[in-house]
Amino acid sequence: MIKSSLLKEFIETGKCRSCPVIDMHQHMGPFQGIYLPNSSAEAMIRTMDRCGVKMGVFCSHAALIDPEENVKMVDVIEKYPNRFRAYWCINPNYPERIEDDLERFSRMRGFVGFKFLSDYHKYPITGANYKPALEYADENELLILMHTWGGSPYDSPAHVEKIAKKYHKVKILMGHSGFGEWEKSIQVARDYPNVYLELTAAVRVNGLIELMVKGAGSEKILFGTDLPWFDPHHGIGCILYSRITDEDRHNILHRNAERMLQPFL
Amino acid sequence: MKALIMRLFDCNISFGRPMIKPLRYSETARDLLKEMDYYGIDEAIVYHARQKDDSPDVGNRILLEEIRGFDRLHGTLAILPPQTGEITIENLIESLRSENVCAFRAFPSEHRYLMSRVSLKPLYGLMVERNIPLFISADESCCGISRWRLIEMILSEAPDLTLIVTDHGCWGEDRFFRPLIEKYEHLYLDISGYHMDGGISDFCRKYGADRLLFGTGYPHLNPGGTILMLMHADITSREREMIASGNLERILRRIKA
Repeated sequence: MIKSSLLKEFIETGKCRSCPVIDMHQHMGPFQGIYLPNSSAEAMIRTMDRCGVKMGVFCSHAALIDPEENVKMVDVIEKYPNRFRAYWCINPNYPERIEDDLERFSRMRGFVGFKFLSDYHKYPITGANYKPALEYADENELLILMHTWGGSPYDSPAHVEKIAKKYHKVKILMGHSGFGEWEKSIQVARDYPNVYLELTAAVRVNGLIELMVKGAGSEKILFGTDLPWFDPHHGIGCILYSRITDEDRHNILHRNAERMLQPFL
Repeated sequence: MKALIMRLFDCNISFGRPMIKPLRYSETARDLLKEMDYYGIDEAIVYHARQKDDSPDVGNRILLEEIRGFDRLHGTLAILPPQTGEITIENLIESLRSENVCAFRAFPSEHRYLMSRVSLKPLYGLMVERNIPLFISADESCCGISRWRLIEMILSEAPDLTLIVTDHGCWGEDRFFRPLIEKYEHLYLDISGYHMDGGISDFCRKYGADRLLFGTGYPHLNPGGTILMLMHADITSREREMIASGNLERILRRIKA
């Protein structure tokens, strides 16, 4: 059995006072292909309280589809300023809107950067339509949560590497850690100081956390759940039971995110 | 710490060296028991990687040899249509009687057969008559019929079969399986892929807890996630105990070997 004070406290109470989790990959609201029992902001907060998640950074499902929905996230952030921050979704299929998007973004509070969902939008992260957002994010040292997937023609780890070679100040979160192309994702996170591995869905792969910690270091790994998709206890359990140290667990579950979010709190 | 958690009876574990190497795996039954100790898993229903990747007859023999003498491990035998004579019903019955075997498992994708009554009528009859559970992964397919459509086809042809579906996808499949749960009373799901927030509690409120079984999907999935999720799911202690071990024990007690 594992000797971990963090695991012991999570087992006993479902949360851990010394380890207030930060979830860097959330959504909100209902979505097309899935029944989500707990998709409202209030239901998500109930889940976060149950699991010891202090804060979540989300992009609403609606904003993934329609750029006009981005502004509605402000209401949630203003209502729950201690629980949520948000990503503004850039939809590259509406390039004529992006300049206006960036202008509106600059006037909003509570956003930490952008969300790219290239596999769904079927447009490569290296494409010209993303350039204004990448330049803006780099200039302002923002975060970009990119959906990344192994073998994708739009957002594979190799695509991320091309971006990271060019933009050095933007913090790039590889959502799902380039699912499946683990070695390449780890190499990109190791070689580029501004690239991070984000664990949504990837966390369930047995042995992966150990591989990432060994290859990229626990300072380059961020916790995420896609909430309201995945129960945070599932992801937290995967990290707690992995063969890493409690220091690594602290880094992954909250410390790295705390550092990253500091300018936006 | 162990005293704080429930008795865990895992219905979805495999061991042995698969053709495609996972990041972690247990080569032998003895290695697997060490892994189960690490996670606090008390007992498990298991299959050997060779049962899926190799000839099922070869794999079944390897499994029986590996788990002999280990009371915490209960085997599942791979089935085939009896018409070719590779795996006979008599041999399956004999293994159920004399070995630590409690169920069958179907791998129609790899073993290439029709998962239909035409092929499996005598086996379906045996399993229904003796309440022998059949395990199948939601990832399986046969001749272009896959996932929940395949599960529906099996149950429509053998509605009284005790069917345990493992490995359903983590991206939310309630719209697929809930109608089947309502129609077929002997359909069970393992929770190795049921990671959706509120999924287990919402399911239990609507259908009760007796159709869900604890399963980790080891070695491919990290068992720690499912364990902590079940430990703190928003359900009663009684429901938690049923999912963790009680339901599976009840299913196994019904078997007439």
